[in-house]
Amino acid sequence: MIKYVGKRIMYMILVFFIMSIALFFLYNLIPGDPARAELEPLRNKLTAEEYQYRYQLARERLGLDDPMPIRYAKWMSGVLQGDFGMSSIYKAPVREVIVSPMKITVFINIFSIIITLAITIPLGIFTAVKKNSIFDKSVQVLTIVGYSIPVFIIALLFIYLFAVRLGWFPVSGLNTPNFSGTAWEEFKDTMYHLALPLGVLTVGSLGGLTRYVRAAMIDALSMDYIRTARAKGLKERVVIFSHAWRNALLPVITLIISWLMSVFAGSLVIERMFNLKGMGDFYISALTNQDYNVAMAIQLFYIILALLGNLLSDLSYGVVDPRVRVNK
Amino acid sequence: MSKDTNQKKKKPSLLKRLFGGKSDMSIYEEELVQSPFRTIISNFKDNKVAMTGLIGFSIILLIVLIGPFIFPITTSFSEVSQINVAPGLDMMDVPEELQGNIKQISIGPTFSVGISNNGDVYIWGKTKISSALDVANIPEDMGKIVQVSAGFDHIIFLNEDGKLFFSGNNRQRQSTPTYEVENLTNIKQIEAGYQSSVVVTEDGYVYYFGNSMNNDYNEKNPYQGQIDKVATTSDGVIGLTKSGEVVYLGNQQNAYTRFPENMGKIVDIGTTASTVAAVNENGKVFVWGNISTNGEGNPPELDEKIISIQGGRYHYTALTESGRIVSWGANNYKQTEVPPELKDAKVVSYFTDSYQNYAIDENNNLHTWGLKGYLLGTDELGRDIFSRLINGGRMSVFIGAVAVVISTIIGIVVGSVSGFVGGKVDMVLQRISEMVSSLPFLPFAMILSSLIGNKIPPNQRVFLIMVILGLLSWPGLQRLVRAQILSIREQEYVTAAKSVGIKQVSIIFKHILPNVVSVIIVSATLDFATSMLTEATLSYLGFGVQAPQPTWGNMLYGANNSIVIQNYWWRWVFASIILGVCVICINLIGDGLRDAIDPKSQER
Repeated sequence: MIKYVGKRIMYMILVFFIMSIALFFLYNLIPGDPARAELEPLRNKLTAEEYQYRYQLARERLGLDDPMPIRYAKWMSGVLQGDFGMSSIYKAPVREVIVSPMKITVFINIFSIIITLAITIPLGIFTAVKKNSIFDKSVQVLTIVGYSIPVFIIALLFIYLFAVRLGWFPVSGLNTPNFSGTAWEEFKDTMYHLALPLGVLTVGSLGGLTRYVRAAMIDALSMDYIRTARAKGLKERVVIFSHAWRNALLPVITLIISWLMSVFAGSLVIERMFNLKGMGDFYISALTNQDYNVAMAIQLFYIILALLGNLLSDLSYGVVDPRVRVNK
Repeated sequence: MSKDTNQKKKKPSLLKRLFGGKSDMSIYEEELVQSPFRTIISNFKDNKVAMTGLIGFSIILLIVLIGPFIFPITTSFSEVSQINVAPGLDMMDVPEELQGNIKQISIGPTFSVGISNNGDVYIWGKTKISSALDVANIPEDMGKIVQVSAGFDHIIFLNEDGKLFFSGNNRQRQSTPTYEVENLTNIKQIEAGYQSSVVVTEDGYVYYFGNSMNNDYNEKNPYQGQIDKVATTSDGVIGLTKSGEVVYLGNQQNAYTRFPENMGKIVDIGTTASTVAAVNENGKVFVWGNISTNGEGNPPELDEKIISIQGGRYHYTALTESGRIVSWGANNYKQTEVPPELKDAKVVSYFTDSYQNYAIDENNNLHTWGLKGYLLGTDELGRDIFSRLINGGRMSVFIGAVAVVISTIIGIVVGSVSGFVGGKVDMVLQRISEMVSSLPFLPFAMILSSLIGNKIPPNQRVFLIMVILGLLSWPGLQRLVRAQILSIREQEYVTAAKSVGIKQVSIIFKHILPNVVSVIIVSATLDFATSMLTEATLSYLGFGVQAPQPTWGNMLYGANNSIVIQNYWWRWVFASIILGVCVICINLIGDGLRDAIDPKSQER
């Protein structure tokens, strides 16, 4: 097992480097001269010679004249030490700029993941147990609708209903402007502002996940050992939760882990719509403003997240189900 | 029993075959051996939900495939006077109380106002100008109204005592007459233009109020005291003097001042948004100004005299001596298609402006032609949402389909090679596939689209989006195909094929693949839905297909603020609904197919 984990991690690191190379070259395909961009505001204040001198200096400092592999090596060694370069928009190191959006994104996503799981798992189990009942069938229809509608349409509907028509929640921002109060009051204020985005994120992922939990649970319930368990005279609760759910857990865990990644990518749309200064919103504005150091850093974050997700889902097979031969 | 006799025996109606339950079968029929493919089809047909999805999707597909030929769009189209018009086809619905009793009708961009012979005012069409303003909110106690004029976003009323009333927008003070205008008692003509109001008195004086930046008007023009009639374009005021001369009442020298020579004595003038037309006493029409390619500068050759003329936004309608009506100019809303029943009728009065025409014949019957309204409203550039939905649908479906074809081909090739060859090849292909699948989809698609998209022209972006979607979404199918092939590879018929010495390639594609076709179809169907959703999301964020080329996703691009969400609901509701319904239908089909192929899953 340990050998397997080691192998997986080695492999993960390899993939990470390959992807970072691809990313780096991709970004360097873009026409544009960072040195010139940096000096642009000074252009009229400097004499031509001084400008030229400074320009050459900047080119040297930024290493623009080096061949591509050397530039990549410099950038990568910086990244490994936590230095992602400078943001051209914020005129500050990417590492500092990116902290607060990352906090927001992680907070939103973890919160919505918890809510979603708290709803889908019981719902999935319940509909599986009461298979083909009217309740089950209506949930089935709703879930198809749920996963067929893109998250931004759900968001439009929510904004229309809860913010415009009913006026219950604010549409944008994280806090009331100039808010002051105790930590608890601030948390309440934040939650009030996040109610809509969190609701949309949750509703958006309910459909697919519920269907999946239900399918896994039905598979598990149709096994022979369930019949045996019932024949033994075990309580239905025990049959469902100990015997069936344990076995349904395996596919569900895999799905949840791969779903985690997509949630982070999905919150990109939500952040944009509700004007939350999270990673996604940051990423989009970095792309549109051509602040490529920031965009690359965020992209790396997404990739690391994805690779970690893959690793975790592989490992979880082994942990949850000893039958799975991970050492293949 | 052969298939043929089986079918001849029972011939249920189409409806029953689609929705009906299974009919009772004899034991022989039940035991009849069916090919797997036929089983799948019959299983699918028995699934009512999936059939509903199939029918729904077929209808949508038909509409978006045929629709664009019936409702073509010009992508560069925009029309200021028609922006954010609410859905409805009531722009020419003259109130019943007014019909047969019409004294005058005046037409604004999206609304019309009429007065009856008793002096009552009726307003119809889309009267809401903004969330707070409604031209239908007319002042009370106006008395008997004798003349009305509808402008771009305001209406002027003149009552029998010579007093003026206004409704609608007043931001440019177009509804606030100056002191001297308020005291006038001899008003002859009122004319509401683009953010401006013009009043002509009996003794030939012109008074102007409203936006003086956009409209060129010179208060101290040399024609004061001689003016008989005025007409407004979208940026100027044209006058007709009592002696039958057309004059321009502004300061500038522009296209309006380039009067044609030898016009003779003019009897009537009319204006479109940017041209002027005059009719002389011989019945000849002259048109000048900024003439567009729409044809308003080419009056038809007639064998009789034209006696009066009125202009719409881009077209003219004129009346001849014998009471015939002719229309020419832009015909994008059928505003120059004079109804055939007017050919023989003698028209006594007619009213034309914007995109509408009203004509009353000698029997007091009302005829209308032109723009009725928009079924689903218009967007922020005045484009018809209905035709954009249809044209955008074709693009959305097309992008989804091509993306799926690309990803399916890659998935099949990689999956089957990987599964059948195995070993090092399998290892390498699987690692590549893992890499692609661990790319976060949306951010990566955005990167590609913004990096590559900047370099290529907008219409090629469509293909870029297809390729990006296709290149990023194959790993799922690849894994599925590989797993299937791994299990089929060991079966006897493959061993048999190998032992006969058939080439590997043809074993893969001729012997093995047909057995996994069903899995591929299901996966492709579900991928199709996903691709459409992803395209919509990308376009919505501004990283996909970009305006003016419509897709269902980018039609929602501008909808992301509460003003639009609240006031212009039609701009996002319809696109959302059709996108949602289409994807739901595709998913239903995919689910139904999966159930039909895998009988075990039917128990779910």
